[in-house]
Amino acid sequence: MPALQRDTGWGPMQAYFEAARAAHAALSQAGFPVELHQPNLPVFAAEGEAKELAAAHKEGKHLWRGDAYVQLADRGRIVGLCRFLRDQLAYQQIIDVTAVDHAAEDKELWGMYAFLSLTTKLRLSVKTMIPKDDCRIDSIVPVYPGANWHERETAEFYGITYTGHPDPRHMLLPDDWVGNPLRKDYKFPEEYHGISCV
Amino acid sequence: MLTDPVTAAAPAPPQGNLWTDLMHGVFPDGMPWWMVAVLGAAVAFAAVMLFVTVIAMFSIWLERKVAGHIQVRLGPMRVGGWHGWAQSVADGVKLLLKEDVVVTGADRLLFKLAPALVLGTALAMFVALPFAPGLQIADVDLGVFFLISISSITTIGVIMAGWGSNNKWSVYGAMREAAQVASYEIPLGLSLMPPVIYYGSLSLRTATDMQAGWLGLHWYVFDPLHFWIAIPSFVLFFVAALAETKRAPFDLAESESELVAGFHTEYSGIRFSFFFLEEYAAMFVMSAVGAALWFGGWNFPGVTQMPEGALRDFLCVVVFTVKSMLLVFVMMWVRWTLPRIRIDQVMTLGYKYLTPLSLILVFAAAVLEYFLALAPSVLP
Amino acid sequence: MERAAPSPGLLQPGQREIELDVRTQDVEINMGPQHPSTHGVLRVLIRADGEIVTAAQSHLGYLHRCAEKIGENVDWLQYLPYTDRYDYLAAMNNNLGYSLAVEKLLGIEVPPRGQYLRTLIVELNRIASHLIAFGTYGLDIGAFTPFFYAFRERELLLDIFEKICGARLTYSFIRPGGVFNDAPPGWLQHVEDFCRQFEKKWPEYWDLLVENKIFIERTANVGIIPRDLAIAWGCTGPMLRGSGVDWDLRRDQPYLVYDRLEFKVITGVGYRGTVGDCFDRNYVRMLEMVESLKMVRQCLDQMPEGEVSHPDVGLIIRPAPGEAYVGIENPRGELGHYVVSDGSKIARRVRVRAPSFCNLSLVEHIMPGTMLADAVAIIGATDIVIGETDR
Repeated sequence: MPALQRDTGWGPMQAYFEAARAAHAALSQAGFPVELHQPNLPVFAAEGEAKELAAAHKEGKHLWRGDAYVQLADRGRIVGLCRFLRDQLAYQQIIDVTAVDHAAEDKELWGMYAFLSLTTKLRLSVKTMIPKDDCRIDSIVPVYPGANWHERETAEFYGITYTGHPDPRHMLLPDDWVGNPLRKDYKFPEEYHGISCV
Repeated sequence: MLTDPVTAAAPAPPQGNLWTDLMHGVFPDGMPWWMVAVLGAAVAFAAVMLFVTVIAMFSIWLERKVAGHIQVRLGPMRVGGWHGWAQSVADGVKLLLKEDVVVTGADRLLFKLAPALVLGTALAMFVALPFAPGLQIADVDLGVFFLISISSITTIGVIMAGWGSNNKWSVYGAMREAAQVASYEIPLGLSLMPPVIYYGSLSLRTATDMQAGWLGLHWYVFDPLHFWIAIPSFVLFFVAALAETKRAPFDLAESESELVAGFHTEYSGIRFSFFFLEEYAAMFVMSAVGAALWFGGWNFPGVTQMPEGALRDFLCVVVFTVKSMLLVFVMMWVRWTLPRIRIDQVMTLGYKYLTPLSLILVFAAAVLEYFLALAPSVLP
Repeated sequence: MERAAPSPGLLQPGQREIELDVRTQDVEINMGPQHPSTHGVLRVLIRADGEIVTAAQSHLGYLHRCAEKIGENVDWLQYLPYTDRYDYLAAMNNNLGYSLAVEKLLGIEVPPRGQYLRTLIVELNRIASHLIAFGTYGLDIGAFTPFFYAFRERELLLDIFEKICGARLTYSFIRPGGVFNDAPPGWLQHVEDFCRQFEKKWPEYWDLLVENKIFIERTANVGIIPRDLAIAWGCTGPMLRGSGVDWDLRRDQPYLVYDRLEFKVITGVGYRGTVGDCFDRNYVRMLEMVESLKMVRQCLDQMPEGEVSHPDVGLIIRPAPGEAYVGIENPRGELGHYVVSDGSKIARRVRVRAPSFCNLSLVEHIMPGTMLADAVAIIGATDIVIGETDR
């Protein structure tokens, strides 16, 4: 495969959009409940974009820019999706597993997965929603061993339980740390083992 | 002119060694023998201690300068003015003033005894070194043997230190040291055999006296019939000596990047400085043995021919010390150039390469001496 | 260990049984958090049978500084100095990764001179980082001198960085919208002088350390990572290339001006041992320095005139809502920044995908069976920066 076309200063864009479309098509065909999200703003900002954004915000319209991604509706099928991506679509590498707590009042966390293919040279982002009151999702370590530490880190920062994770210890935080620091409703502790944190 | 080592008459018993002088010259005749012994030992100890301290301090300063210049920097430049000459003194004072920490859970007896044992053996080795015709504490008949055996006692001190420290890294260091020294004793001892066969004596004094020919240049390594044994055996001896003195690339016992500081991790203050002194003292002794057996000892053109006396003795000491320090310098040079070998590679090198090679050399030396003894008249 | 039963034929009646077996026990030993060769405060709990490592487990977090949490609490631009702090040996690269991610949301393209300047300085920073990797690797193996040689050249690079941005370690030079300032007069000449000098010095390193017999013995065939293992564990950068995978983001997913530069992607070839051993990882880094130097030269030749920053980006940045992931080739591998914006001046999420973190996750699995000294060699060849693994 030749190298991807560089169309922006931060790297290829069109190729990734196409990759997301192709992955979406293949996944739908394989029976995964996925939907494709594509940015509705142009890649490069136009003159007076700020005004347009403000107006759209007032109307409740969501204009956004960035990566296209595939959203998986049923988080229970994440392992199957990963296996499909690895075996059928040649996404050999897991680049990142993380989560996003977009706002404290949201009912769900975003579970984010970033994949990379070394043969087709494409990237793919997969998002799945994890409800905060049932914060668990299957671990993808059996498919991608490289997700091991990412999942451990995300688990402690967001309180997500990765079911079936082989080594669910804390990664960066002390073993007795209370709370999930990257949650938006996280209360900073006042003291830790007698050390005042205020 | 060649001296045939086998048929030559045994050299005259050495005159004027320090011990004899003290026994018969300095002290009045009426003194009881035990007082003479005690006083003599005290004077000898003081002399050796002073010499070792000075040599070790100089070596430490030299090591830092050598390291500095190899590593494109200057090394110590401030203390004392000229090129930081007083750096070692300042370090020594600092070490003396530091708190002497004995870690919790340490085996206190072993922990405290180890540095003393290590330094004591290092000092004992100086007894047999022939510094000058009139300056040798004791001309031990089995000089070479004595040095090897004493130097291995250091290992026991190191093991005591490592075991007594209650630290796993220290135990690792001690075990590595034990394994390494035990395996390198063999090539070290065997590589000393070719010169011993050549001189027909284990005494370092005899060895030095026999290299006095050719205006003081008839060194073992220059001997036209023996150099082909002398040079490889010296190389083997030097490598084994590096291992014996725990110097890079064989510094596994204290390998900084693996074992933090190995067996002396938990030592501080004066006890640490004992290990430090020992390292440099051992380096000097090993180099001195090399200088005495291969490089003519105190012999040097101009010095060998001088009439006996204090001036000659002084110059002999200078020649001998300079030769030894040159070898010490090579040890430093090696240390700051080469990476460290892994423990299994150390063992492989010792048992698979150095030991067979040294055996071959011993055999070759023996065969050579045998045929030289058979045909003395053919030779010039 | 099971005690061997004494063979019946040898023991005479009345003779005392001699206990022949030695019962041994594995040692559990903490390498770190304060240890000379864990490159910071990594703690590796090692279980060893004498000198042989039987199991290893990494414990991280001693340098955790909540970088991602901070990212959600400060302005977009205010976060830039924090990016310097995760991989403090390649701070320019971190700045770049973050800036590119923000620019992706902003939808702006940096002027050509800015792009060239970024490429140039990032490659210089890569040389500086690889110099440290090379020097400290020598230190891990037990050779002290290469470290000082590496620092001598790195010092020149730091002078170059200092001249352009005033800082020697934490630059914050590349920022969303461009770079901090244009090159001062004579700076490009300074870079060229460095190139000339480095070209002469590089063979010295190669001869001093890489071709050293002891170094080869210590690193070749040690800590072999097969190609498939490296891919499955998400290894990137020299660690992946050392295993023989021909993959470089600069070539395969070109950003900045890399598509206009000519360079070779170095992969491990088993030069002295097996493909994927510690030697190969170091070999890749050594040769990458040369490639970076080539790129620097090309950037100098092609350097256009003009602005270095986008005029619209001020101190307060309000990117469009959305999420963006940008991965760049950091000296240690793929440095990914995943940023989520809701259109305000503070990010909703700044996620850092740190290359050392992912590369390190594999290390504890290749350690068992090696010797204690090899464990040090393996950690060294991974070239981790704890600031980055812990963030």
